[in-house]
Amino acid sequence: MIVKKLIEKIEGEAELDFTFDKGKVEDVRISFGFYRGIEEILAGKDPYDALVITPRVCGICNHAHLIAAVRALENGYESAGAKISLTDKAKNIREFTLACELIQNHMKWFYMTILPQLEKLLDDRSGENHALKASYFSSTITKALAIFAGQWPHSGYAVPGGVTCDPTYIDVMQAENLIDESIRFFEQMVAGIPMHKYLNIDSVSELHKINGDLARVLRLLGASRMAETGKSHDRFIVFGDCILFKAGKSMATTVSNVDIQYVEEMLQAGTTAKAVTYKNRFFEVGPLARAMVAKEPIVKSLHKRYKDSLITRVFARVHEVAILLEYSKKLLQNLVLNEPSCTLQNHLKAVDFEGVGVAEAARGSLIHKTTVKEGLIAKYEIIVPTQWNLGNSSNTEQGVAAKAMIGSSDPEEAGFIFRAFDICSVCTTQ
Amino acid sequence: MKIAEKKARKRESIILTALQLFSTKGFHKTTIPDIADKLHMSVGNLYNYFSSKDMLAKEIIKFTSEVLGNEIKTVNMMDISSEEKIRKIVEIYFGMASEKPEMIEYFLRVYLSHREVFADGCEGMTCVSGFITEIMIFFDDGVSKEELRDQDFFSAFGLFMGYLGGMVFLKGEEILPRELDEYVDDISRNIYYALKA
Amino acid sequence: MSQKRLKLLWLQSITCNGNTHSFLNHPDLFSILSHFELIYHPVLETSYDIQALLSGRLDCDVLILEGSFRQEGFKKGGIEVFELVKNYAEKAKHIISAGTCSTFGGIFKQYDPDSISGFCFNGEERTESYEKYASKTISLPGCPIHPKWLSYVLMMLSHGKKIPLDELHRPQELYGITVHTGCVRNEYFEWKVDTKGFGLKEGCSFYENGCQGPYTRGSCNKILWNDTSSKTVVGTPCFGCTEPSFPKTALYTTKTNMGIPATMPLGVPRRAYLTATGIAKSFKIKRFEERIITYDS
Repeated sequence: MIVKKLIEKIEGEAELDFTFDKGKVEDVRISFGFYRGIEEILAGKDPYDALVITPRVCGICNHAHLIAAVRALENGYESAGAKISLTDKAKNIREFTLACELIQNHMKWFYMTILPQLEKLLDDRSGENHALKASYFSSTITKALAIFAGQWPHSGYAVPGGVTCDPTYIDVMQAENLIDESIRFFEQMVAGIPMHKYLNIDSVSELHKINGDLARVLRLLGASRMAETGKSHDRFIVFGDCILFKAGKSMATTVSNVDIQYVEEMLQAGTTAKAVTYKNRFFEVGPLARAMVAKEPIVKSLHKRYKDSLITRVFARVHEVAILLEYSKKLLQNLVLNEPSCTLQNHLKAVDFEGVGVAEAARGSLIHKTTVKEGLIAKYEIIVPTQWNLGNSSNTEQGVAAKAMIGSSDPEEAGFIFRAFDICSVCTTQ
Repeated sequence: MKIAEKKARKRESIILTALQLFSTKGFHKTTIPDIADKLHMSVGNLYNYFSSKDMLAKEIIKFTSEVLGNEIKTVNMMDISSEEKIRKIVEIYFGMASEKPEMIEYFLRVYLSHREVFADGCEGMTCVSGFITEIMIFFDDGVSKEELRDQDFFSAFGLFMGYLGGMVFLKGEEILPRELDEYVDDISRNIYYALKA
Repeated sequence: MSQKRLKLLWLQSITCNGNTHSFLNHPDLFSILSHFELIYHPVLETSYDIQALLSGRLDCDVLILEGSFRQEGFKKGGIEVFELVKNYAEKAKHIISAGTCSTFGGIFKQYDPDSISGFCFNGEERTESYEKYASKTISLPGCPIHPKWLSYVLMMLSHGKKIPLDELHRPQELYGITVHTGCVRNEYFEWKVDTKGFGLKEGCSFYENGCQGPYTRGSCNKILWNDTSSKTVVGTPCFGCTEPSFPKTALYTTKTNMGIPATMPLGVPRRAYLTATGIAKSFKIKRFEERIITYDS
């Protein structure tokens, strides 16, 4: 029996076609709508234009696209012989703004997807306007981002050699206040306990210390026995090497190195999204993957008990907010303002090159590849995180999200498991 | 109204007379009494118009720049190719050098040779903006029509104006064997070839 | 609140969701929405779901359109989105094209310029929809839309006030000025002092770095982004994202003819600009050559 379900109120919409057998999901095909052709739009443009065009792939993770695009350019110019070295200031500012975007994303997902959908699914409504919290929080944190990047969404402030902004202490102090405000929100609304106490929690046995909306989500998941649904391949991968996140892959309990050359994209029938594999296997990307590769204690502890189930996946994403908030505060405190913001004075004039840039976006590793010939973009390739998570089953194995949904007895529940991956249809179908 | 008009006319005649004297006798050798004398007016009255010789010098350069600028402006307004415009500008410049040699002479021998006089109040292109603006418009127009090659403004400006100035200078030094207008063809072509896209 | 609240329906076509997320940043979001009955929205909880939306049977007074359009080939749940748009446009009292895509076609138009366009405009040209719907359409270009530009329009509609529009149906209050208006780098523009490369708070980006602020309509520097900043404030050039021509190419470089910017500030004749420039450039003003702040290391 085939059951079709249109998933809305994600970034765009997705269609799930469930195959039910004996009352349980046996397979599911995920398809997305319209291909917008960003890669084709870029062909023939000035290499720098990728900094403006690629953020328009996605309204919610646009900044990660900017960062991946600028890294691809820098990598390309370096491969053509240019020397580019960023100051710590420029690196820290880029890390800061990217962290803000991730935080914004996760909190919107928590308050606008997870909480309302879970309440609806379990028919346990609080009557609260969760979106109000999401909007307050995201407008606060994106304001901190905009102090450096000018605006969010769709900034173009990262350029080869650094950033265009030249902040003063007025900016830094304002940004710090906004981070403090965000931390306060996390303490009072999300975790219900002070940040330092929250961050000290390192095992499942201590999770009861958490209050607030996170505790409510954990309780709802636990009480409904949904906590342990949603298990997938238990394989994770991270490519974006930066100060906070480490590149690597995690399988069973082992973390090992990765090499981007083994990443492969493939077309899928019936959808405009392409699937991605590493050495022909599907891997999960995103906050859970990052926590597994970085061996984050509380996530590891959850994983030990629940494996890569719904509760681990949901918790990892919320937990990343706390880590990123702490991290962004440190980044601000370490800014040395008299360092140059940008070390390149002029546009680089390399004519032919290939460059690869990776960034950890909210949903996982984002890869940009730019090929420049005779000074213009000849080919541009974008591999987005959701392509990893939402690929359909191949001949040899099931897709990551597909596998997580298989075995569920209810399309609504399966839909929730699907949403826990933080679905973005616009990214998937650039 | 009538008085104002009269004053303006007087002012212009002072400028033209001074222009002539400066460019023939030399800037330092010409005194305010010389100018007043030639105009049959009193030194005191002349000072009512221009408070110093330096001030007069600056007004003259603005005046000549406006005159030359207006001539080039009419060329810029014409619906003709950049190649034809170059020829017209060369004709204007050489025509002026022959008919009103004092204007070009003044520019070359006074303005460019006595920069200290113009340091205060005539910085950079301030006093020659009437002329420079039209040259900019000529270049800008030529490049946007893809008739001229896009390059640094001063490399193009130096080539064009340095060339014309050099020819007039040679003429003034009586080194040039032929009349200026006999060179218009070749020089226009040379400039066009150097600037074309 | 005695007046009946207008029914608001937000419909997405070919988009990145950037306008949706930009509007979510509005600090007074729910106060603004409280003046309306939210019928459908792409991410906020609404009284109707997507199936109801796709049925075409919902009521709609104010229709917000996000994304560019193609007559056919862009479907949601098997329904042609453009048909759905026309259906709701028919019912609506007011249509807001939110963002450059839905106004002029924007970035996504470049993928297939012959079949993708904005709702009433295709670049500056009028589309077929113009004749039928333009009289009730308000254009709010911007990539993305500025949350406060949209809230201004929504509040005006909820108060039944008339919004003065220009020939492309943009509110004059928002687009009657350029992005240059209010830019913190204006002094450098006045005296023609270029910013030396990227990453400096000093200097103007109009001469080398591609800033389109002086000829781009919009109030980015009057009503700041995220209530705090703007592209030009942080040294990023204005990319002209509110304009029908967006996006042009080589966005970080000023196109010049022999060093003279190829595009003049809005409405300024070249001769007037060059006269002023030649004079302003002649002065070396010490303050504009220096750094504004020096930090001890």
